[in-house]
Amino acid sequence: METLPDFWRTTTFHPLSVHFPIVLLLFAFLFKSISLFSTKETFKLGGSILLIAGTISAWIAIYTGNLADGIVSRKLCDPTVLKDHENFAFTTAWLFTAASVIDLFIHFKVLASLKKWINYLLILLLLGGTSCLFYVGHLGATLVYQQAAGVYTPSEHCEEF
Amino acid sequence: MKLLKMITVAFSFLMIVACGEKTDVVESGTYQGKIKEVEAEKTEIYVTTADDKILELYFTDETTLTKDGKPVDFSMLKENQQVEVKVEKTGNRLDPISVKIME
Repeated sequence: METLPDFWRTTTFHPLSVHFPIVLLLFAFLFKSISLFSTKETFKLGGSILLIAGTISAWIAIYTGNLADGIVSRKLCDPTVLKDHENFAFTTAWLFTAASVIDLFIHFKVLASLKKWINYLLILLLLGGTSCLFYVGHLGATLVYQQAAGVYTPSEHCEEF
Repeated sequence: MKLLKMITVAFSFLMIVACGEKTDVVESGTYQGKIKEVEAEKTEIYVTTADDKILELYFTDETTLTKDGKPVDFSMLKENQQVEVKVEKTGNRLDPISVKIME
């Protein structure tokens, strides 16, 4: 008889960690966009905090994804989707990392004379990062819902339960 | 403005580094090529074939690795080594059946 696998296994760390950057970075983009038209410090500072926290969590998600990759790839019917997921995840993380650096420039008034352009660059990076984030999420979802990546499939008669 | 240019260049470099590269799917068969990358912790190798295709191969329990006809350990695999790989295509996954180190 099959035994039910432990929930706390390497492949579950990725889905557990991946939703933090999705939420944090989407709200970072939202807050930073609103801060362009609003004078409220909440959106500016809140956006910065969300951006930094989201970027850190994105790199954690990449780390856990990398751990799962070695196990999951051997069982997928189309690992090229996983490769795209991985490549776009790196692009997303680098775009938000660059955005975080630019945001710190603004915060510490580095390049103050170019403030307008720097702000445009920040929004451009956030827009690019957010677009990539959507696509990475979509690819991740197809891996799970079309190829059962990292998912335990119960036996036909559920004897292990 | 000079600094802005530097940021743009750095950003472009980031994008190139971040985008990674695509791997290819080929039909079942035997291919010769060079090892592009070895990921020891995942027992995985990337092989560039003669026609410039990149094969991503995860070793399975059934994969045999040999040199001069004798079985060798995965740690013998190094970048730029010439190898001959026999792969089986399952869906779009390439399972390495055998890997021969040619040099």
